[in-house]
Amino acid sequence: MKNYARLLAFLLCAVSTSSAFAQLDSDFAKANQDYAQGNFKEAISGYKTLVGSGQWSANLLYDLGNAYFRTGDFGHAILNYERALALERHHPEATANLQIARDEARALEMQQSWPERYLQFANSNQYSIAAAVAFWVGVFCIVRLIFGRRRSAATIALSILSLFIFAIATLAVYGLDHGSKGRALAIVTGQDVQARLATADTANSVLALPPGSEVKILSTRGDWVYAVLPNKLRGWIPVKSTELVRL
Amino acid sequence: MAVLLGALIAFAEDNRAFAEPPSVTAVLSNSEAVVGQMVELQIKVTGAGNAQPPEHISIDGLEIHATGTSRQFEMRNFTTTSSVTYNYAILPLKAGQFAIPSQTILVGGKSLRTPELTLNVADSPGRSSASRPAQNARPGNASKLVFAELIVPKKTAFVGEIVPVQIRLGFDPRTHPRLIDLPEITGQGFTAHKLQQSGENRETISGRTYDVVTFKTAIAAARAGNFEIGPVKAKAQVLTPRRPSSPRSRSPFDLFNLDDPFSDPFFSDPFGEVGERREIEINSEPVAFDVKPLPQNAPANFSGAIGNFTMTTDAKPKSVQVGDPITVTTTISGRGNFDRVNAPGIEDEHGWHKYPPSSKFKQDDDVGISGTRTFETVLSPNEKKQSMPVMAFSYFDPVKEQYVTLRSDPIAINVQGGALADAGAAVVPPGSPPPAAVAAPTPVQKPQDILYQLTERSTVAQSFGPLYARRLFWTVQLVPLLALIGFAGWKIRQARINNREARRIAALQHEAVELMRKLHRSDASPREYYAEASRVVRVKAALARNVDPNTVDLETAADTFGLNGDSRERLRRLFEQSDELQYSGTHNGSEKISPESRRDVLELIEHLK
Repeated sequence: MKNYARLLAFLLCAVSTSSAFAQLDSDFAKANQDYAQGNFKEAISGYKTLVGSGQWSANLLYDLGNAYFRTGDFGHAILNYERALALERHHPEATANLQIARDEARALEMQQSWPERYLQFANSNQYSIAAAVAFWVGVFCIVRLIFGRRRSAATIALSILSLFIFAIATLAVYGLDHGSKGRALAIVTGQDVQARLATADTANSVLALPPGSEVKILSTRGDWVYAVLPNKLRGWIPVKSTELVRL
Repeated sequence: MAVLLGALIAFAEDNRAFAEPPSVTAVLSNSEAVVGQMVELQIKVTGAGNAQPPEHISIDGLEIHATGTSRQFEMRNFTTTSSVTYNYAILPLKAGQFAIPSQTILVGGKSLRTPELTLNVADSPGRSSASRPAQNARPGNASKLVFAELIVPKKTAFVGEIVPVQIRLGFDPRTHPRLIDLPEITGQGFTAHKLQQSGENRETISGRTYDVVTFKTAIAAARAGNFEIGPVKAKAQVLTPRRPSSPRSRSPFDLFNLDDPFSDPFFSDPFGEVGERREIEINSEPVAFDVKPLPQNAPANFSGAIGNFTMTTDAKPKSVQVGDPITVTTTISGRGNFDRVNAPGIEDEHGWHKYPPSSKFKQDDDVGISGTRTFETVLSPNEKKQSMPVMAFSYFDPVKEQYVTLRSDPIAINVQGGALADAGAAVVPPGSPPPAAVAAPTPVQKPQDILYQLTERSTVAQSFGPLYARRLFWTVQLVPLLALIGFAGWKIRQARINNREARRIAALQHEAVELMRKLHRSDASPREYYAEASRVVRVKAALARNVDPNTVDLETAADTFGLNGDSRERLRRLFEQSDELQYSGTHNGSEKISPESRRDVLELIEHLK
């Protein structure tokens, strides 16, 4: 009897999951259809519903970016292209459209430091895997050196190399996550946004930020965020005018 | 302590070095004066420790003396700024308009120049009654207890021109005045800056002593025409003598045009009666002011700035890619209406994208008519460029009565990527026929369109979280961890096994040595001797083959040591002899083994290697 109950519960779970996925696919198709018919606002609404459900994918965010682009909202278009690229670094369509949107909006980009530029050939996740692999290889080599009768030079060299790679990969993960394009990267989505010297609309302006400009958020105080600006200065920006790239 | 102090100084010097390049400004305490009225000239050098100011400034009609040096340090956000101010006292000897020429200051091997300043000197009041018409409230009548004075040294100005104004309020010290309302300049057709109290001193005027409070401000006419400035109105509480019991010929409240109420016996006898505080209004006389309109031929980028300004420009970074931002910092210094000083414009915006500029103002005086406004404009090259565009700033110089346009020097930059800007078009002189290539219409570049929608959605939800923050990542780490534990356990077990084997081998070696020692002795019986000899052979073979000695037989031992026919036969006899003596139960004759037999056995065994 118990086994029957378990089987029934499993089947119910499977059916509900399947129907949920089917619903998401249906919503996605509907949003695509709205986009194709030129109903960009409806398409944006449909894509945003999918994003809100947590079923993120690079293609979904790319499509949302396209819909925003069509409405002339370059700030949100750039934000969603950036999000698509955050999920899939090598998304060619998102890369191409991001460049077009930036050109249209005259958006400012953060300037990367030289270590970030050199570390860019892999992303944070790839460095994490490299660090894990190198760590375990190094540890196995050390264990072998400890328990082995003979200490071969090759094992010693491999252990040193592995731990060196582990250290470099760990630093790379940290550098990329905390760099100008890391987790604190945000996009200016508001219009006529000015970075200011203080948390007041009347404070002196540091830099005018066109929509789609990149900033790196350092801290938040009330309705303002303190951010590193594309010209490497720092300023206060209204919270409602920026959105983090990484959800 | 000395080391710490030294480190702090070095840190400050280091920060200062990186904070900003040296700069110099010059400012007059008042650009309008009368003959004999001292004016102060301040030359301020910022960002340099040592500077060589001019020792003598000689201008005909002005007597200029250096009066001292002051030094200021300011630390803000760990950035130290130091400035040195060189003070000069200027005594006008005659009336007229004097230009204080630009002074060269040597700062660390570099020559910096101060802006040119203008000082308008009018005749002193004693010489001409028209020179200071605004001072007619001055207490020529010795009976005045308070007075207000509006000093507008310049009676003619242009629309929008900033004219510094001084207000002086004088009080008889015996009135113990308390100012209730700050003085206010009434009138229409001009705007006034915020009033700043600039000094308080005691003066003797016409034989009477006054406490004089001086305020500074500046006005700017909003329209052309003749109108009056003032009067200045202020309210104060003063101590007046109590009304006398006997009728008097005047009212004690009429403070300005009647006799001195302090002639009352109260003031001669402070213990006699107590005075009373009264609120009074102090008024000055208005001043006539003539405002001229600006000339019509204003440059296109004239934003209403009137005064005397200088401009410097810098750009960073100087090596960029096409599309990268370059921050152009433009500094406009001088004296004038800085609220109308806008960012310089770009003369040729072709190939550049300009973003809205930001600005900040640092004033050098109390009123804000002298200072430095710094603009930061972000420019982005759309194509390959070799120099920054020329920035132009126009203002109206009221002294020269003409418009002046300041242009930035060309700043060389290196822009990588994109096509080189058509420099040829820029150098074609006006009026010359345009080259054929230029005459051809430039095709309008169609704006790029974005790529298509993607209709396939990944069935697996992706995550923005870093891999190392996911549970799966750490769960996967359990696999190598368990493998490591297994590997380490296996290695430990192997080590223990190896240790046991080593002990066994050591025991066998020890046994072989002991047996060989016994075989060399002559006291053993044949039974013992041959048994020990065969045991030695088995142990040696077991050591060579890493097997149990009990499993070694004749053939195994012979094969182990590779014995030939004769040796194999001798070994066989040794084994047979041993077995026979061991199992037959007889001793076969003598109790002792012969030396020949022992030698033969020893020789055989010692050759087993």
